[in-house]
Amino acid sequence: MPNNIATVLSRQDTWRGRSQRLPRRTITTGHNNLDLLLQGGWPISVLTELMPQQSGIGELSLLLPTIKYYADNNQLCVWLDPPYQPYAPRLAAADIALDKLLVVRSKNHAEWLWAAEQSIRSGALLLAWTKQPPPRYADLRKLQLAAADNGNAAFLFSAPSAMSAPSPAALRLELQSLEINQLLLNVRKQRGVAGGAQLQLSLGEANTQRTNLALLPADRHRTYPVRQFNN
Amino acid sequence: MLKRDIWLYLHFPLLPLEALLPQLPTEQAQKPIAIINLQKNIQRVLCCNTQAAAWGIEPDLSISTALALCPELELLSRQIEQEQQLLQQLALVAYSFSPVVILTDSGSLNHSSVPSNHSSGLWLEISGCYKLFKGYDALLRELDYRLRSQSITAVNGIGQNPLAAKLLCGPDFETQLPDQTEIQRRLLNADLSLLEINRKQQQSFKQLGLNTVGDLLALPRSALSRRFNAELMLTIAQLNNEKPFNAPRFQPANSFRDLIQNPQGIFNKESLLFPMKTLLQHLCQYLMARQCHCREIEWHFEPLIGESQKMQIQLSGSQNNWSTLLMLSRLQLERLELPRSIEQIILYADQFIEAPMGVFNLDLFDNQKTAQQSCELIDSLNARLGIDALSQPILNQDYLPEQASTLATPGKHSNTSLNKKLKAPQPLWLLTDPAPVHLRNKKLYWRQPLTIISGPERLCGNWWQAEQQRDYYLACDSNGARYWLFRETSSQRWFVHGLFS
Repeated sequence: MPNNIATVLSRQDTWRGRSQRLPRRTITTGHNNLDLLLQGGWPISVLTELMPQQSGIGELSLLLPTIKYYADNNQLCVWLDPPYQPYAPRLAAADIALDKLLVVRSKNHAEWLWAAEQSIRSGALLLAWTKQPPPRYADLRKLQLAAADNGNAAFLFSAPSAMSAPSPAALRLELQSLEINQLLLNVRKQRGVAGGAQLQLSLGEANTQRTNLALLPADRHRTYPVRQFNN
Repeated sequence: MLKRDIWLYLHFPLLPLEALLPQLPTEQAQKPIAIINLQKNIQRVLCCNTQAAAWGIEPDLSISTALALCPELELLSRQIEQEQQLLQQLALVAYSFSPVVILTDSGSLNHSSVPSNHSSGLWLEISGCYKLFKGYDALLRELDYRLRSQSITAVNGIGQNPLAAKLLCGPDFETQLPDQTEIQRRLLNADLSLLEINRKQQQSFKQLGLNTVGDLLALPRSALSRRFNAELMLTIAQLNNEKPFNAPRFQPANSFRDLIQNPQGIFNKESLLFPMKTLLQHLCQYLMARQCHCREIEWHFEPLIGESQKMQIQLSGSQNNWSTLLMLSRLQLERLELPRSIEQIILYADQFIEAPMGVFNLDLFDNQKTAQQSCELIDSLNARLGIDALSQPILNQDYLPEQASTLATPGKHSNTSLNKKLKAPQPLWLLTDPAPVHLRNKKLYWRQPLTIISGPERLCGNWWQAEQQRDYYLACDSNGARYWLFRETSSQRWFVHGLFS
């Protein structure tokens, strides 16, 4: 619990009357257009919920730059209950240090929630896949609060059926595949912005381009070190 | 001028009692207690607590006298083994003050150490510790505090050599270091009867009119050597700092083992935590003394009857912090089925690594902190979810995908790097067991109809196994999700082996 004014003020979700825009700390997604859409990149210290319409459409490739960023910073990346086994040669080809990845299998919902919260609180990047039945609102709220306390990005992969359910996640993206390597992002919820924005994103090995940081709004990355991704 | 040694002798008068006190229930510990011991075929009181002393109980009383004085006196017999264990642990405490620690039992003095004499104590040489503790008085105060916080009664004596220190051991703990002339004056005034020599020689001192050590040392050495044996001459030489005191120094043992007994039994997990905390604090003292970290600790919970339950705690990073160890033990304890009542808790540790340099500094670099955080996360996940729940993908030099990428327990990481350039695109997800693909109307079908985009790429595993020859294809479904398919050349059957994601 925050016990003094300094801790309260250092939190990102404290609203202070005079500031026009909340100071947002983000890390770049590695895609120009997505950075612009998300106002700088993946928001950190919030829970981000990704809802791919089915697995295999490129939802994980979207996060590879972020995973690499964390691994390069010597931080652990916890994969909680992934649907399949991560394929090491592909990850190694993306220059991700494999010893920074940790695959965790939980046996029940209590363990899932505990492991997720521990990972967020220990400064690791969390990628969590929900199981059936989907976690309750109160449980997700716990994760959102842990992320807010700790200043780390946390990603939750939910089933498309979760779309209709309310979620405490500050950013909710629906992912659809248009054709091969073409991903359609539907912003379902974004803090501070009205939802409903759409973005078509090209993924894939052949047509990945370098992120041009000069195109980004200058003040987005002020408080967080920025790295370039040469993916 | 030559640097003078300063020897400190610590004597623990109530050690037999204090070794037994932690096991007693609190209400019993409040009663008058006396420790009895067999002396010359008679059970006599060895020491007693203050409650008993208030009734007039004192050492060397026979049992019948003691019971006559205080009918409700609790009599406990002396446990040499536990006393030794406590003494070892106190030596460890002393070792954190000075590198020169000598146990009296290991000394040349009491080799005929019969249990009856209660010379349970140890020596410390503290002349080299001036700077570290910013003065000898501060050292003595700190030592006094540390012993008190472990509820150990100690008295001390200070001298220029071990023998003198023991001779000058006073009735309480002195926290002011007297100056050299004062120490010398005290030694000369010390009563000769304190010297550990046989009765016959004590008698002859009396006949000679020698009362203090000063009287003895004033006599010419040649005259003394004619009257007394070589042993006394050695003692005199040692008192005069002419001969060194030869005794093996205390060294921390190579492995750690400590136990706490509870004859009443412990029935729930919550009440286990306090003794576990005490044991872990002992472990950390030991680790500090040896300047190492441990990689693994092992708990044994022993019931009165039946099998003991073991619990191993593996550490991914090295640790010497008792609160982290307690937290991990606690997490793992939750998963453990314990016997109904636990009588004895044992803590073992024998896997150590040298403490990395600079660990005692607070974190200088953020990097170190995140690495430590990761280790702590792995350990706590490990303790709560079990070792099978955690894995890390590793890369192997193999052609077959399922062997090229395997999962291993964290920490056992091989540094294989990818040396071949990937030709074809590779998936991010791998199916642990390839899923068979059906053929419907000559179309591939797995959950959805699949169309092949590119391929084939032939992967041959071990050529002597025919069925390992596969042709890999890239396929997609109507939604644009991409799959990694293969066809076994021998059976012509199709399988899904991965998802691109």
